[in-house]
Amino acid sequence: MRIIKSLWIFYKKLVIPSLALSVLLGFFGTSLVRITTGIGISYIILTPVIHYFIYEVNNTNEYYFYHNLGLSKVSLWVNTIVMSLMVGFAFLCL
Amino acid sequence: MSGLHVDSVRKHFRFRQVLSDVFISCKKGEVIGLLGRNGSGKSTLLKIIFGSLAAENRFIAIDDIPKNGLFESRGLIGYLPQESFLPGHIKIKSIVSLYCDRNQAAILFDHDLVKPFLGKKSRELSGGERRMIEVLIMIYSTASYLLFDEPFNGIAPIYIEKIKLLIQEHAVKKGFIVTDHDYANILAISSRVIMLHDGAVKKIEGLNDLVDLGYLPEKYDIELEKITFT
Repeated sequence: MRIIKSLWIFYKKLVIPSLALSVLLGFFGTSLVRITTGIGISYIILTPVIHYFIYEVNNTNEYYFYHNLGLSKVSLWVNTIVMSLMVGFAFLCL
Repeated sequence: MSGLHVDSVRKHFRFRQVLSDVFISCKKGEVIGLLGRNGSGKSTLLKIIFGSLAAENRFIAIDDIPKNGLFESRGLIGYLPQESFLPGHIKIKSIVSLYCDRNQAAILFDHDLVKPFLGKKSRELSGGERRMIEVLIMIYSTASYLLFDEPFNGIAPIYIEKIKLLIQEHAVKKGFIVTDHDYANILAISSRVIMLHDGAVKKIEGLNDLVDLGYLPEKYDIELEKITFT
């Protein structure tokens, strides 16, 4: 339970910027694809990029918070990618 | 061998060998003071023990059980890094609940140094307040062995005294390895002092050793002479 909570805390920081940018891109891409498809694809691509800028560039030290809870960098990256795929595909299926 | 056993740690950065066959042990009830000049490899060593930094060679065991990496050491080894590490978007109360078991969390919730900040997020605290909260959360965390990198940095002297008392109080059932350039405070709480010098660990038995190894100037504070080494 503690690990799931920690993963959610980590991911929570990525949701708002990823979703905001994806909605924006989805809206601008309506001439090419359906808005939900645009949001889904953007979300899958953007979330790892935002992860990189938030955690690898700006808040590198925050990784220790999660390391103390037994989560390695690799497991946090896997979490980001899996969660993004799930959310992204949910949009694609709408 | 009971306790935390660290052996054969080797690490180099480019052409510089920072750690060469380092050995450290720490049992519950001990506070190990780790001293060393800037760049001597203190933080590197702590990160390797913690498991967040790879080394050319390392052997870490707790109570004779080898530990490879963060996941295996979770709840056993805690690391307080030099820089602030708390996420700014989470309230202190939630962080305490994540790091401490129910009993220890209840003590912290009622602690006079923590109580005023429970409803705040770490980004709303000053640097010193944040550091103090970080140290306290780590002391009360579930980890049995704590690696503290510059715990006194930025904290007011009155709180440093309280933290020193807490470390000594918790050292009854935990092991601590503490490094800080505030050597007077390190010497005051340590049951054993070691120094990293030329990539190896040297046992320190008196202030003269620190002078001989080039850590202290020849004329050090006379008050420190009163500190006894064990």
